[in-house]
Amino acid sequence: MINLIKRVELLTNCADMALQNMAQLMRPGPGGSMFPVNHTYALSSWTPGVVSFLAFIFAVFLMMAVLMILTGFLGEKRVNENKLRPYESGIIPTGSTPIRYPVPFFLVAVFFLIFDVEGAFIFSWALAVKALGAKAMVQMTFFIFVLLMGLVYIWFKGGLALSGGKNKRAGRR
Amino acid sequence: MSRAVDSVINWARATSLWPMYFGLSCCFVEEITAWTPRYDIARFGAEVLRLSPRQADLLIISGTVFKKVAPVVLRLYEQMAEPKWVISMGSCANTGGMYDVYSVVQGVNQILPVDVYIPGCPPRPEAVLHGLTRLQEKIQSEERPSARVFHMAGGSQGTVSPVLVDGETKTRDTRGPGMNGIPVRGSSVTPPDFNGTRAQFMWTPPAAQITPGAVENEITSQLVRRFGDAVAPAEKSADMLTIDVDPSRAPEVLRFFKFESSPRFLRLEDYTAVDQSARQNPEDYPDFTLVYHLLAFDPAVRVRIRAALYGRYPETQSIHELWENAGWYEREIYDMFGIRFSGHPDLRRLLMPEGWQGHPLRKSYPGRATEMPAYTIEDARNLQPRAGEQFYRVDEDGESYVLNIGPHHTGTHGIIRYIAKMEGETITGLDMDIGYHHRGAEKIGERQHWIQYIPYTDRVDYLVGAANEFPYVLAVEKIAGIRVPERAEYIRVLFAELSRIANHMAYMGITANDVGALTPNFYAFRDREMIMDIVEMISGGRLHPAFFRPGGVAADLPEGWKEPVEAFLRVFPKRLGEYEKITLKNPVFRARTVDVGLMEKHDAMDLGVTGPNLRSTGVNWDLRKNMPYSVYGSLDFDVPTDTVSDCWTRFRLRAEECRQSVRIIRQVIDQMPGGRYISADYRYVVPERQDMLKDIESLIHHFINVSRGPKIPRGEAYAATENPRGEQGYYVVSDGLGFAYRVRIRASSFTNIQAFAKICKGATIADFIAIIGAHDYTPADIDR
Repeated sequence: MINLIKRVELLTNCADMALQNMAQLMRPGPGGSMFPVNHTYALSSWTPGVVSFLAFIFAVFLMMAVLMILTGFLGEKRVNENKLRPYESGIIPTGSTPIRYPVPFFLVAVFFLIFDVEGAFIFSWALAVKALGAKAMVQMTFFIFVLLMGLVYIWFKGGLALSGGKNKRAGRR
Repeated sequence: MSRAVDSVINWARATSLWPMYFGLSCCFVEEITAWTPRYDIARFGAEVLRLSPRQADLLIISGTVFKKVAPVVLRLYEQMAEPKWVISMGSCANTGGMYDVYSVVQGVNQILPVDVYIPGCPPRPEAVLHGLTRLQEKIQSEERPSARVFHMAGGSQGTVSPVLVDGETKTRDTRGPGMNGIPVRGSSVTPPDFNGTRAQFMWTPPAAQITPGAVENEITSQLVRRFGDAVAPAEKSADMLTIDVDPSRAPEVLRFFKFESSPRFLRLEDYTAVDQSARQNPEDYPDFTLVYHLLAFDPAVRVRIRAALYGRYPETQSIHELWENAGWYEREIYDMFGIRFSGHPDLRRLLMPEGWQGHPLRKSYPGRATEMPAYTIEDARNLQPRAGEQFYRVDEDGESYVLNIGPHHTGTHGIIRYIAKMEGETITGLDMDIGYHHRGAEKIGERQHWIQYIPYTDRVDYLVGAANEFPYVLAVEKIAGIRVPERAEYIRVLFAELSRIANHMAYMGITANDVGALTPNFYAFRDREMIMDIVEMISGGRLHPAFFRPGGVAADLPEGWKEPVEAFLRVFPKRLGEYEKITLKNPVFRARTVDVGLMEKHDAMDLGVTGPNLRSTGVNWDLRKNMPYSVYGSLDFDVPTDTVSDCWTRFRLRAEECRQSVRIIRQVIDQMPGGRYISADYRYVVPERQDMLKDIESLIHHFINVSRGPKIPRGEAYAATENPRGEQGYYVVSDGLGFAYRVRIRASSFTNIQAFAKICKGATIADFIAIIGAHDYTPADIDR
């Protein structure tokens, strides 16, 4: 148990250090020297932290279970036909819920996925920006620029508009 | 131990009640006012209105429970989480109140268990707070929830009072129990059994008559040249050129009026019918009369066209192709009278629920709910509103689906139901199901006497107060030829303009709220409260002043009336500028409203859209300027218009109208003349108080006119005023008795909302909420 607590402390310290590193990086000016990464595994929660990680996961699930069971058990439950029915402005709902989703919804989901995945590259680069140096900086700037161009392209093509802008007459006022 | 747990649970529940955002009619306006800064219900821990029944535990039945909406109320209640409580707010929810009429459930306790009743019509916001604290006391002192919470025997929580059954545990008699067998007051004059009223034996001069002007004569001669014997100008009319036509040729004549005559009558102002079977001298009348009111914009002139119909359920030709709004009018006439229209593509009921028996405005139909069997919980389960599948075919394989927005929805500003055919987020078709708020105001007009009916006109559009009484008293005055003293005219204008600002403030707050801005709501209601204070000081009422009388107003202005009005005028214009800044210039508000819901000029004119909505399309038309009534002709003000009608413009015009109303009110204060506040023609009016106390003749008139109503000579008149929401018209028919033979309300919202079907096509759901918000309607004004 004590071992577990130690490991949790270690992990928390690592996370603290990583945050401090990032804070240092963000600070402008000549003094913004990088805080030395003096722990080998500061940014990796894997090698030293498998047990504590599992402990966290366990704690989360335990709490969820307790809350769910309590709310499920406590309190009076009364079920009737109307309560089991979906709420649609007080009316008996029309049609069924599994409908075919129109393309714009799907497009938005796809765009989100794409940009989200690219975010992962940028974050990892940001943590190691000092070590990677100016060359990576230029490369990353180019990468972000390309991404932005993609976003602008999608925007102008109307990929982000759900209605296709049929009812709009833009640029009047 | 369990007592301690009880009190902890009760304390937690009572101090954080979660009311549902659920409103039925006028009462909800006062309920929502209790949420605004002056009353601040947050002090009692119940400020979070939940939008879905799943998250709410308190249902405040604020307003009239209509038979058409009762199944919805029951469903929402059953969908709420346990434990749950019900507050019945206002006379209508408690007992049916002043609406003992065929479409209203006489007390929500017939379908739901009720914990607390709040009396009042409507109750003040303070009364809502009182009701809430009473419920909190009840929870904390009477409930023993711990056993229920831990699944043990015994204990109590939530509402335990039973649903009441008429004749066993409750009586629907509004006078209370023990009055069985004694007729309700006024029932002797209720159709179809006229037992006679002494008004028959009273003498009055004949109805007023107008002499036709040059324009009218020109129209008459054009008509006679064209149609010969098929048209016959009526000899007498109290208000406008009246023409009787042969019903088989009515569509032709109307087509002539719209396309060929000079001037062209572009608007079908109103279209209704009268059941003539209960006249004093039925031999002079047909079985039914169809009545069309048309309006020409330039020069401004109205004309009435009447077509006589014979038979029990007559059929005539539809004119839905001539004017777009005729389709709804014909459905309404079919619904209310049972007259059928050949060639109408979709002749089904408009206001009453599907499967309703009978046609309520026929004279043989019972007017009172208490003459009909009591509405029970079984009825609420069985009589469901028309299913969405019946409006649009559900496409099982395709991408389109059908969405019901309303009757209970926060964006719809009351109980009205939209059925949208959707493709993704885009609306491809929109149908409306109205009538959830049908209070039978027209039928009630046939049994309450001329003065008794005034409070009902207030409630036709519950947000504009006294402005609603204006067209009604004008119409009555037109028939009887009553002259109104100048002071009364100015007082009326004062009320009408204060109502306009009060309405527009509520509008600006709520519409901004709809598109995501909560703050303007709190500011706007602060100013609305200042107006409510003025109205209350002068008339004694808040939402519903019932202050106008045929011939003048109910009382003189009290001493010191000027100061609060001036105080309001001092602060308001500057605040208005601030509100404009936080809405019209707000980028989010602009993104939601600019170029959204564009309306075309010719569509608006053809549909009979009125008020600021019409002016936003570029039509410079305001009844106060173009057909001046009261003293508007001598007042100086501008009519704001715009040419591109989107939601932003419609919002802007209302703000600008407030500024013009401030100008008018300032002139009214400066020019307020002295003299009488009600006409000296005591035959028709309630005499001045001092005269009644001192003079026997006035006392007699007072007694008669208050108790059984003045006798208004046989005739008919139509009067319309420029209300905040648009043109509100009353077509009043008198058969020479103490009450109207027929009261027809030409409601502005009824025609205004018909534009939605067109302007919402291609809009998204988010746009739709902005469009209906910016259009400004109240369901009471649609359904009457």
